[in-house]
Amino acid sequence: MQRILKIARREFVETAKTKTFIIGVLMAPVIIGAIIFFTSRIAGDKAGPRPPIQVAVTDLSKQLAENFEISFDDYNKGNPNRQFLLQHLDAQQDANAVQIQGKTRLRNDKLDAYVVLDQDILEGPGKIRFYTHKPKPTDFDAYLTIENLFRKAVENRRYQIEKLDQDLIAKLRYVPIERVEIGSADDKEQIQTPIQGIVNMMVPFFFMYLIFLGMVGTGQQMLGSIIEEKGSRIIEVLLSAVSPFQLMAGKILGLAGIGITVMALWFAAAYAAACWQGLNVGVTPQLMVYFVIYYILGFLFFSAVLTGIGSVCNTIKETQSLMMPVMLISIIPMIAWFKLVQSPNGTMARVLSFVPPVTPMVMVLRLASGADVWFVEIGASILLLAVAVLVVTWAAAKIFRTGILMYGKKPGFFEILRWLRQS
Amino acid sequence: MNAVLLDNVCKSFGKLNAVDNLSVQVSVGRVYGFLGPNGAGKTTTIRMIMNIIRPDSGHIEILGDGQIEQVKSRIGYMPEERGLYRKMTARKVLTYFGAIKGVNDKELAQRVPQWLDRVELADWADKKVEELSRGMHQKLQFAVTVINNPELVILDEPFSGLDPLNQDLIKNIILEMRNEGKTIIFSTHVMHEAEKLCDFILLINKGKLILDDTLDNVRSRQSAHTVSVELEGDTAFVENLPMVTAVKSEGNRLDVTLADADTQEFLKALMQRARVRAFEVKVPSLHEIFVNLVGASDAEDS
Repeated sequence: MQRILKIARREFVETAKTKTFIIGVLMAPVIIGAIIFFTSRIAGDKAGPRPPIQVAVTDLSKQLAENFEISFDDYNKGNPNRQFLLQHLDAQQDANAVQIQGKTRLRNDKLDAYVVLDQDILEGPGKIRFYTHKPKPTDFDAYLTIENLFRKAVENRRYQIEKLDQDLIAKLRYVPIERVEIGSADDKEQIQTPIQGIVNMMVPFFFMYLIFLGMVGTGQQMLGSIIEEKGSRIIEVLLSAVSPFQLMAGKILGLAGIGITVMALWFAAAYAAACWQGLNVGVTPQLMVYFVIYYILGFLFFSAVLTGIGSVCNTIKETQSLMMPVMLISIIPMIAWFKLVQSPNGTMARVLSFVPPVTPMVMVLRLASGADVWFVEIGASILLLAVAVLVVTWAAAKIFRTGILMYGKKPGFFEILRWLRQS
Repeated sequence: MNAVLLDNVCKSFGKLNAVDNLSVQVSVGRVYGFLGPNGAGKTTTIRMIMNIIRPDSGHIEILGDGQIEQVKSRIGYMPEERGLYRKMTARKVLTYFGAIKGVNDKELAQRVPQWLDRVELADWADKKVEELSRGMHQKLQFAVTVINNPELVILDEPFSGLDPLNQDLIKNIILEMRNEGKTIIFSTHVMHEAEKLCDFILLINKGKLILDDTLDNVRSRQSAHTVSVELEGDTAFVENLPMVTAVKSEGNRLDVTLADADTQEFLKALMQRARVRAFEVKVPSLHEIFVNLVGASDAEDS
């Protein structure tokens, strides 16, 4: 045991001294702080300039021309950098001929968008038909605006027909809302800005992301450390002093120390940043306990897998093909987090809670989202994860023992299976 | 008690029999030269002794114990593939390996500077390993090997990469350790070094033991066969003597290989036909013994 601790200590000290580690530890809080800082300012940001967009309209109802002009003029006055140039393509006798003309011009790039309003648009089931030709992704924003301008024109015309006062309607529709978090006492009441809503969404994500970074980041250190020892042929010297299991255990322990240190630093930094911005981060002590349990188990699982991978490869490059499936599974919660936060007790959340590599991430996400997760589910997921850790560690120890002295060709899948069967 | 006991040990990698039914006993307090051509199975054998790889069959005992993990702290092992943490200083590397070999901190505080001094690295103690030259690296590796004051020292190619001065340095330490009653096994390709150091020779080829004896015995068994002579006058007759199997002339000197005959008989035969100016029974060098035995064993196989 003493030797395991000695190995762990060296692993800890040497990792903590590397540049990647220091940069990683320092940069992450800076980045998190920057994100929080800028999100609160991004809301008032105006879109940048773009070239004018050519829009043609054919109004088959023949009643709307004036309303279009008002809508577009209003917009163009307010957005001198983002103009829309509106032209009218009026139908004479043949409504079809003018539409064909409009579409042809659209195809020839004379127009960016072509809009046709049905004859019964005002009082019947008619539609606004919006034509584009090979739309550019950058124009989607503009298309939405054009749609809105036309819809507003039609709306306004309908009000006029019904003799309704537009200003009055606007006044009637205006209902302001103030969100207040009442806190523990009356003087703690806090009016919530829209950003607080984002924060409430982001806190669970942040927790999950911490677990992800912690597992993957320290896992990478593990890979690097094994590859270094293998590459510089230190392994054999080490194995003359300690058993492979002691070596592996020491490494995992040392890196777990790194992981917990990093986690604590980041967490402190994030908490400080949130307080500084006056944001309310609802973190209960209970959540922290679960977080630590899931993090440690998740870390052990991950590092055991990476130990196995590292010991059969000779270079970091070689590890990449083996890392790919592991990473693919691990990023599932990162992709699905929004859905998971919205329905933390949904089927997907429940199923993913029992897939070991992502169990810690998904469970922490669910718990941090404030959902009532059935305690049996929590217990069962921890138990399953713990069993998975034991199985993976057992397998990794066997692969480590044989793989670590193999140089040259990477062993195939079946060869690794054979190692597992060996005593 | 044997320092090392191998009993019918076999190890194969796929179709290759790297070690084939090897049985060896290494006595305590002796220096063993573990010789063999490249690919003979030396490193595999040593790795099995260190429990780094496991034999397919057979039994291994180290320092009287079948559980090698139990006695690892009493062994010093220098692998053929050298490696130390490049980013750590010489002093830290030595301290770290001492610590994981079970040397306590108090002892280490004494031994580390002693050994750095002994291998002439005291001035480099706080330099990173990556700044050391190849020879220094090698000496540091040697210090790492013996920092735990082991009873059994196993050195795989201890002299490779060292200049003659440093070779002598290491050789003297090995001899010192022998005088302290330690058992030393080393593999080498540098035959003249082995010759100066070994009590016993273990020679393997293609995973099989082909020689296991004291150096003296090996020499006396082989020595009677070659004689170097210098004669006056015509020397053509030598080739036709019944006991002679081969003659190689180097200027005035003739190197004569004899078939199992007594050298004195040969001298008598020479004196009857010519004046003998010089006569020397050649003690074969380990180099020659190596070449002969390995050659013979290869010939047997094919």
